[in-house]
Amino acid sequence: MIQVPPWVRETFDTYLVCEFTTVKSGKPVTLPLLPFYLPDSGKFVVTSSVLFSKKAENVKQNPKVSLLFSNPEGSKAGKHAVLVQGIGHADDSDLDHGWEKYLSYWRKKEPYIDAYLAEREKFGWFWKRIVVQVEPKKILAWKNGDTSRPPEVFGV
Amino acid sequence: MIGLDYQRLGNFRYAVVTLVGDDGFPFSVSTDFKILADKKIVLQKPALPSKLDGKRVNVLFNHITGLPGGGYGDRRYMLVWGTTHEDHGTLRFEPETVSEWDEKILPFDQYCAKSAPQGAKYLGRLQASVEA
Repeated sequence: MIQVPPWVRETFDTYLVCEFTTVKSGKPVTLPLLPFYLPDSGKFVVTSSVLFSKKAENVKQNPKVSLLFSNPEGSKAGKHAVLVQGIGHADDSDLDHGWEKYLSYWRKKEPYIDAYLAEREKFGWFWKRIVVQVEPKKILAWKNGDTSRPPEVFGV
Repeated sequence: MIGLDYQRLGNFRYAVVTLVGDDGFPFSVSTDFKILADKKIVLQKPALPSKLDGKRVNVLFNHITGLPGGGYGDRRYMLVWGTTHEDHGTLRFEPETVSEWDEKILPFDQYCAKSAPQGAKYLGRLQASVEA
C-alpha cells in the first residue's frame, strides 16, 4: 500500500470526479468518472454501466490505467492535482449486485443516488455495472495544482 | 477537424492532457489553455518527463457544477485527440477528432438510450464467453 500525505488522501476521499484513462491500441482514452478510494487496501474503484463499457473492454485488453484528481468542484478540499498510475482489473462476474458493496462510497459523493436506485427498473441497463479495481503502482502529486513544477512522487 | 465547437470549448476552465508514457502507463496532467482568434488551441506547458513535441495525445475538457446538498450536475465534457507541438514555451494543440457529451444537449436518459447498442454488444460478448 502506497503511503501518501494527508492532503493527497483528502483529495482521494473528497474529489467528486477523476479523469480515468485506459489505453486502446496504444491510444489514451480519458473520461470523467466517479472514483472511490478504499482506505484499507489503498486501491481505487470505478464502476461502469454496460451502456458505457468500452473503458472496461480496454482494461481487459490493457490493464495499465490512470486516475487524475484535478477538479475540486463540489468538494471542500483545496485545488491539487494527483495522478495515480496502476493496474486495473475489470470484474463483470456479477453485473447486477457486484457494485453494490461500494454504495456507501457512492452515497457520500452523490447523496441523491438512492432516488435513481428507486427507479432501478427504468434505468435497467444503467444498473448493470462492471467494477474496475485499480491497484496503484505510482502516485504523482502536484500540491496546489501547479503542474509547471515537477510532482512529488510516491510508490517508487 | 470536424465537429469541434470552439465557442463551447472556450467555456471550459482547464484542460487535462494525456499521453501514453514509455512505460506504457497513461500520464495525465492538468493545465490551462486558451483559444486564439484564429481558433488555434494553446496549452500552458506542464512539467513532464518526456517531450510533447509531435506527441499524439488526448485532451479532456471537463465540467461539473457542485450542488449545495452534495453531488454535482451540469455535466459536460469534450475529449479531443490530436497532436501537440512545442511553440515558444507553450504547446500548440492540433485537434483531429472529438467525442463529447453535454447533458443540457443530450439529457442523461436519452444518452443511456443512445448507448443501448454498446450495452447489448457487451452483454452479448459476456454471454458468449460464459457459454464457451
